[in-house]
Amino acid sequence: MSVSLPTTPRELAPLPAGALANFRLIPRIETYPAVVAFAQTLAGKLVLLALFGLGLAYNHQSWEPLILFLALITFLPGQRRILLTLSTLAFAFLVTWTSFKRPLYVVTLLCLTLLLGAFLFWSAARWPRSWYGRNTILIFLSGFAALVLIAATAPQNVWFSHPLWDFTYMLSTYMWFIGYSLLDAKLEDHDRFGLQLGCYRPFWGSTNTPFAKGAAYLRRIEARNAEQLAITQLKGLKLLAWASLISLFSNFYQHYIYESFPIPTYSQALSLSASHVHLPWYVCWASLIGNFFGGIISLSIFGHTIIACCRMAGFNALRNTYRPLSSRTVAEFFNRYYFYFKELLVDFFFYPIFLRCFRKNQKLRLVVSIFAAACFGNAFYHFSRDLNLVYSLGLARALQGYQVYLFYCFALATAISISRLRPRSPMPPGFIRARLLPSFSVVLVYCLLDVFGSTERNYPLTEHFRFFAHLFNLNL
Amino acid sequence: MDRIEEIRVFFKKLLALRGDRQSFSDQSSLFLSGRLGSVEAVEVVVLLEEKFGIDFTETGFDETQIDSIDAIQLLIRTAKSPSRAE
Repeated sequence: MSVSLPTTPRELAPLPAGALANFRLIPRIETYPAVVAFAQTLAGKLVLLALFGLGLAYNHQSWEPLILFLALITFLPGQRRILLTLSTLAFAFLVTWTSFKRPLYVVTLLCLTLLLGAFLFWSAARWPRSWYGRNTILIFLSGFAALVLIAATAPQNVWFSHPLWDFTYMLSTYMWFIGYSLLDAKLEDHDRFGLQLGCYRPFWGSTNTPFAKGAAYLRRIEARNAEQLAITQLKGLKLLAWASLISLFSNFYQHYIYESFPIPTYSQALSLSASHVHLPWYVCWASLIGNFFGGIISLSIFGHTIIACCRMAGFNALRNTYRPLSSRTVAEFFNRYYFYFKELLVDFFFYPIFLRCFRKNQKLRLVVSIFAAACFGNAFYHFSRDLNLVYSLGLARALQGYQVYLFYCFALATAISISRLRPRSPMPPGFIRARLLPSFSVVLVYCLLDVFGSTERNYPLTEHFRFFAHLFNLNL
Repeated sequence: MDRIEEIRVFFKKLLALRGDRQSFSDQSSLFLSGRLGSVEAVEVVVLLEEKFGIDFTETGFDETQIDSIDAIQLLIRTAKSPSRAE
């Protein structure tokens, strides 16, 4: 099924009209007809690329090849998806070849991973109605978990021990990208594997979370004509400018919070608390709040830069972080803070459970699906992301050290479930009741959750509870 | 009120709950454009299951299927067509 995109695609729901809500630090240049028309000319494209290159040089280490690939895609929009694949492969193999001591070995592992992805995709597309076709994600994720178990329990002195670990680690970095192409394989209008490859850690950047999801999403948000491309690229340029502004602010933030005031970072405060050094409750709060806002700032810079490049390539992707502090519920914050991670959890864990289980009882159905995503899926994602800890600590100790993050996932899923089960009511009148109080409550909940949101496995759960108690002036 | 009108009213309500009071047409993209999110998608899924008997375990689910009123109309027609049931 294809759904045409509107000419002027919108972002998330707007705030109510008002002088402050309508104020724009960066003007909406994509709505100015003269600017859109200019951006479609040769001179306009060159100016856009030059400005974008300047912004990238400030924000991105590998900006030269990135701007080269973006220029190619800008001038050959008809070949966008093929160029995306070629650029992504060039980046993957180039980075591998220049960054590793044994490039041939790593390239072999990379090729094996991509071959596995190709085989899984082909079989899912070939037999979509078979048992395998209907359960590809479950089989793939279970297979990966089994592989981790085998790699972690295999004797260290056998010849295949290290290559098996390395392959498992390589696969973990591509796992969710392959997963999205398996989801696409189920759709009638799926892309062929050559185009899926362009979404396997695309050249504009990603974490283990696929930014701008997979091929199915890119197909739907791709610019269809010169005007849409110009609008999308102008929005990309604006987002990069926004990332640069936040980056500038970040320098001031780091300086004032951690250098001008005697506020410890959260990890320093936790470490002091674990060493039984008594910290005043307000210092604990200050370090926690500083950590919370620092997290939002760094995620915004990182996500905006990636999505800006994605837009410059002609894909009108939604922002990764979008006004998280305007969230009125815990569930809304989760959506606004790290959109593509939330989408991953929804696509791979929430929907499969929600569409199949407990369909007679809507509340139970919702809560079980939320726990599948925000608790199990979240824990599974981070455990598979940090396989280096399984390698260095061993499976048993890595699992034992994971207790803190497991608790965090459980608490997060509980908070989201409560938030979703509460009846949704229209906004009450007045800024304080409509905006300030709900936002404050949401920030408070996430600040408290952040006490347990560490994946470092340095301290047991009891130490995190000790810090939690310090926040309320209780010394345990 | 016919059933498609019922869906229009439902979408209007969902948008209003997000503070979005701008109009939309049957072709307007609501999910891909970000006006609605996965929280609202779940409510639309439940509505389509309950009012139209659509079983997404049979048809498969993708947010583009419910992205606009037109897309939903197509989904309902496809789900009810005899060839699909065979």
